Formats: sequence, structure tokens, C-alpha cells
Amino acid sequence: MSLEQFKDRNVSQNYTYIPVDKPPVKPLDKFKQVLKRTFKGELFVGLWVVFREMVKFDIHTVQYPKEKLPISPRYRAVHKLYRLLESGYERCIGCGLCEKICIANCIRMDTRYDENQRKEVTEYTINLGRCIFCGYCAEVCPELAIVHGPRYENASEQRAHFVLKDDMLTPLDFLKEGKQQEYPGFGDVSPNADERIKKTPLAY
Amino acid sequence: MTLTEFVIATIIKILVVLGLFSALAGFGTYLERKVLAFMQRRLGPMHVGPYGLLQVLADGIKLFTKEDIVPQNSVKPIFMIAPVIGAATAFIALAAVPLFPEFEIFGITIHPIIADINVGVLFVLGVMASGLFAPLLAGMASANKWGLLGAARTAIQLLSYEVVTGLSILAPLMLVGSLSLIDINNYQSGGFTDWIVWTQPVAFVLFLIAGFAETNRTPFDLLEHEAEIVSGYATEYSGMRWGMFFIGEYANMITIAFLASLIFLGGFNDWGFIPGGLAIVLKVSFLFFFFLWTRAAWPHVRPDQLMWLCWKVLMPVAVINVVVTGIVLMM
Amino acid sequence: MFEAIAFYLFSAITIAMFAITVLSKNALYSMSALAAGMVMISGFFFLLDADFLGVVQIIVYTGAVMALYAFGMMFFDTTRDVKEEIRAPKLVFLLSGLSALLLVIALVAPIVSDHITALYPMTEGVENPQAVGIVLFTKYLVPFEVAAVMLLVAMIAGIVLAGKKMDESLTLKVEEEFQEKGAK
Repeated sequence: MSLEQFKDRNVSQNYTYIPVDKPPVKPLDKFKQVLKRTFKGELFVGLWVVFREMVKFDIHTVQYPKEKLPISPRYRAVHKLYRLLESGYERCIGCGLCEKICIANCIRMDTRYDENQRKEVTEYTINLGRCIFCGYCAEVCPELAIVHGPRYENASEQRAHFVLKDDMLTPLDFLKEGKQQEYPGFGDVSPNADERIKKTPLAY
Repeated sequence: MTLTEFVIATIIKILVVLGLFSALAGFGTYLERKVLAFMQRRLGPMHVGPYGLLQVLADGIKLFTKEDIVPQNSVKPIFMIAPVIGAATAFIALAAVPLFPEFEIFGITIHPIIADINVGVLFVLGVMASGLFAPLLAGMASANKWGLLGAARTAIQLLSYEVVTGLSILAPLMLVGSLSLIDINNYQSGGFTDWIVWTQPVAFVLFLIAGFAETNRTPFDLLEHEAEIVSGYATEYSGMRWGMFFIGEYANMITIAFLASLIFLGGFNDWGFIPGGLAIVLKVSFLFFFFLWTRAAWPHVRPDQLMWLCWKVLMPVAVINVVVTGIVLMM
Repeated sequence: MFEAIAFYLFSAITIAMFAITVLSKNALYSMSALAAGMVMISGFFFLLDADFLGVVQIIVYTGAVMALYAFGMMFFDTTRDVKEEIRAPKLVFLLSGLSALLLVIALVAPIVSDHITALYPMTEGVENPQAVGIVLFTKYLVPFEVAAVMLLVAMIAGIVLAGKKMDESLTLKVEEEFQEKGAK
């Protein structure tokens, strides 16, 4: 399916005008209209339509907690922090870009230098009460460390759930089992990233 | 039958009718939700019990345990009494309806009618009409604009559609020559072709339309038209008081279905190989289904269209029907 | 025994209801009590085996009081008490008391002197509605027809009064027309 029909902003060209008769003025014409509407059987057409649907039993209900609709890989729900596949270290290098770009101002991080003089993230929280799930943090992340996950059921006893770093970070045992899948969603490198890559312009 | 036996039998009948019809009214809500859902390609209640059957029970528990809110500026006694009128009149009207043919149990012949008065039709219609005092009082007492609008609509709806109901059943009553529902039923005992609906089709249609208006079902559901006046007369009600309106409405629907099948559709006479008791249950079920069916299919009308329909179409048609019936009877 | 109990029950309720109708200052209380009293009166008809009249009482007064409610809805805030102003309370008390007394005397006199007999006693085998019909269409035919004509006159008058400006729509009127009307 091409995207052309969605890009077309001139929507009115597909409109068709239904001819509507002017309402009758003379009493006799009004009477005729009443007779026509009464005996034309439009009411029974309505009855037939709903009855047909009942007999066909073509049910469109999704019984939500038991069944769920599939969601797009680009769905932007609760964030995830990823680990490096080989070493298991956190991918986050503490650059703070996500904190800077966050337009809802809901990301807070705290960093320090560890014994090897590498930056280490000590605290990382996202206030999901303020987050608008715009996806800028995932897009801006240079290390693909923060992505949006598919988990959209944000119900819990406490607000503090979901927002802490430990909850978002992939657990180590989970990683060892090889269950951390590279996320093809928002903020990911595009499939043709290798072709599009350019040399950094160092002219200045 | 001695007096004591009569009193005991009557009390048992009253209890049976009360219990059965409140249960049926509750079950009616389940049926309505299911049928409407199927017609709109949905499933309806599914989670409580198998196929959502226990939803009625869950709703009942919810209604009973909800807080009973009485608004501060309302006229409290009348506000509290109004739903009781709604539920009570619905069941009182059932007192004069012969529900089934006579049957024998333990050697006693039982007439399944609580009070066999010889003006049964008028009694049922009169009590059902006075049942419309419930929304009227509720709306006027709740000190709420939407409630008041609902009450005003109740008043016009009752005053207009009383006329149509009365005139529409006048013609079949002229044929039968009696106001007793049992006599009307016996008049049609000759089988399928004897049904009054074949001789009085216009009266049947008029009676059904007026019945929809009297029970405020959908094409004429103006008293609590959600899209226009929030919830009409029931805006300020909560919990069991609101539930009583609901029970009253569904009991009224069943009563109208019984009346229509008794007067026009051959009542509880045997229908071919189907015994009378089953026949009337089938007819009432179909009419009840028809109530739900129209709710899925047809839109609301405006109040002015309602008045137009009543005074400019239905009433003249009803009068003409009565006159024509009279002329035919004289000849 | 049941009849006696029912009679006293209905009488007590009826009197209480009409007392509320007269004494209450709240229009909603008065009208509701009136409606309840009218329905309770039908109980007496049922006790006397006059089923038809009892049912007619219910039907007629349901509609009639409903019309009264409509007026009450338009004239008052029915959830508040009406402020009454009685100029001469003694005179009102005297006159209404006298007329009530007269009415009671007029109604009780024939009962006390045992001069009350049924002009048209119930015949066996004739049902209630038929009996009413026979009397209505033989002896009282002229008053019946006169009443019918009067009602017709009232209906036509009502339609004429209400229907004077029916072809004029308030909502579709243009703004200037309103201003013209206001200038006049």
C-alpha cells in the first residue's frame, strides 16, 4: 500500500454531494412526504439490517485481558534500558542527551566517575506521570541504550513502579538467556543505516 | 373455595408474580445487553459467570451496596417515594393480567390471575399510566434542570399517548364487547385466523406505538434521553432507587407485551400443536425481543416530532379506525 | 371483615392526603397528595363492586392531575414553599367553613332520614360497564351529549387560542424581527 493517499491533503476532491430535496412548503406536499416516508418501509430496512448482523454473528469484540491486539514494533510505551550483549554492562554512557531533550522534563539522571574514570549512571528515573511518550529520548540516544518497550499496561499499586532504573534495565539473567532482543522500533538505527552513514565533517 | 383458601391462594400468587417478574425484569436487562450487543457486532457481558449470566447478580449487588444519595435541595420525601411508585405500579398492573391458561396442580384448579376484575384492560392501562407519576415526581422533586425537563416531557408524553392507547384498543373492545382480558382471550379461541390482529391491524400498530411511548422505550425514549438531557428524571438518582425505576420499566415492558399478545395475538389459546401456556410465552418473548430490536435499529425522535406524531397522525387514524369499526359492526 | 378494614384504611389515607393537599405550602406536596387521594378514592369504588367507575377514576384523575403538575411546573419553583398572602384570614375561614358544612349537611341529610334508594339498582347478569352504559345512554343521554359538546367547544377554543401563532417559528426568526417587535 502506498502512502500517497495519506499524503494527499486535498481531501475534498473525494467528496460526493448527496442531492437533498428542499423541504415541502405546501400542506399537500407535506402530506405526500409523510405518506411516502410511512409506506416506503425504510423503518423495516433498519430492522432488517440489525437483524442480519445478529444472525451473521460476525463479532468484532476483543476480550481484552484474555486477548490482546498485536501492536506495531514502533509502538512507544514504557521505556527500557538495554545492556551490552557480550559484557553485560549497561549501554548507557551517561551522556545526558535524553535528559536534555526531554520536552516533558521527566527524565532525571545522576552520574559519577567510577574507579576507572569511566562515567557511571547511578540514578536514572523517568517520571511516567509526566512523560508524553514522544520518543525523543530513544531517538537521541547515541548508544541505543534507551528504547520504548511494548508494555502499555501502566497499572500498579504505586506510582514509583515503572519509573526506576532497576525496573527498566534488562535483568542480567534475562540477558544471559539471550532474551534481550534488539528493538526494531523507535530510536533504532534504520535498516539502511550503513548506506546512509557519512564521514563526520571535521572541516571546522 | 372458602375465604381462607382464597386469601392464601391470592397471597401465594402475589408472591410468585412478584418474585418471578422481578427476576424476569433483572434477566431482561441481561437479554437487552446481549441482543443489542449482537446486533452491533459485540459480545456484551462475558466475564461474570458463563457467558456473563451472573452479570445481573453483580449489578444487583452493585446497586444495593451503592450509596443512596439524596440531593440537598430536593423535596426529600417525594424524591424518595418516586421510584417506589414506579416499581409498585408496574407490579400492581400485572395483578389484573391473566398470565397463563388455567391449570391443575395437586388436584386444585389454579387461575393464574391475581384479581379477575371485569374491566381488566382499563385497570392495567390506568395503573400503568399512573406509573408515569414516578418519573414526573422524580424529575420535579430532584431540584435539577435536567430532571425538570425530563418531568415536563413525561407530562406531555403521558397526556398525549394516553389518548392513543385508549382509542386504539377501543376498536377491538367493540368487537369483543367486554373489557375483561379473559373474555378477550376467549373471543380468539378459534385458532390462528381468529386473532384480532387480522381484523384490527391498524389498532395493533397504534397500540404498539403507544405502548413504546408509555414504557419510554427507544423511539420515544425522551424522558432520559442521554444525548439531550443527561439522564432526564433519573439524573440525581443512584443505587437501588435508580434500580427501582429500571425494574419498573422492564416490568412495564413485559406487561405491555402480555397485553398486546392477549388482546391482538390470540392470548393463551392453543396455537396449532403448541399448548396455550407455551404459546403466550413465545408471543411475549417475541414482543419483548421486538422492544430490544427497535432500540438497536431506530433513532430517537424529537419531542416536537413526538407530539406531531401523536396528535396529527396517530389520533386521527385511531378515531377513523373506531368509526370504521363501528360502521362495519352496525352493518 | 376485610371490607371494613379496607374501608377504614382507604378513608384514613384519603382524608390524610386531602388534608395535606389543603394545608401544605409546597405545591409539589399538595399536588402529589391530591393525586394520591384521587387514586385512593377509587378504592371505595372497588369496594362497592363498581370496578368500571374505580378504574375510570384512576385514569381520569391521573391525566387531570398530570395537567395540574404541568401548570405547577410552569408557575412555581415546586421545590420551594409558596409564600401565601391572605388579607382577611377570618373571613376566608368563615366562608370556607360554612360552605364545607353546607356540603356535609346536603350529603348526609338523605342518609340520616333513610330516604336514599337506588334509582337504577343493579340487575343480575349485567356487568358493571354495561350497567353504566345503559343508564348513560337512556335516562342521561341529553346531559351526556351536552357534556360532550361542551368538551368539544372547550377543545376547539383551546386549539384556537394556542394555535394563533403556530406558523411562526421562534427559533428560525431573524434578529431584526425581534428588534422590530421590541421597538413597537
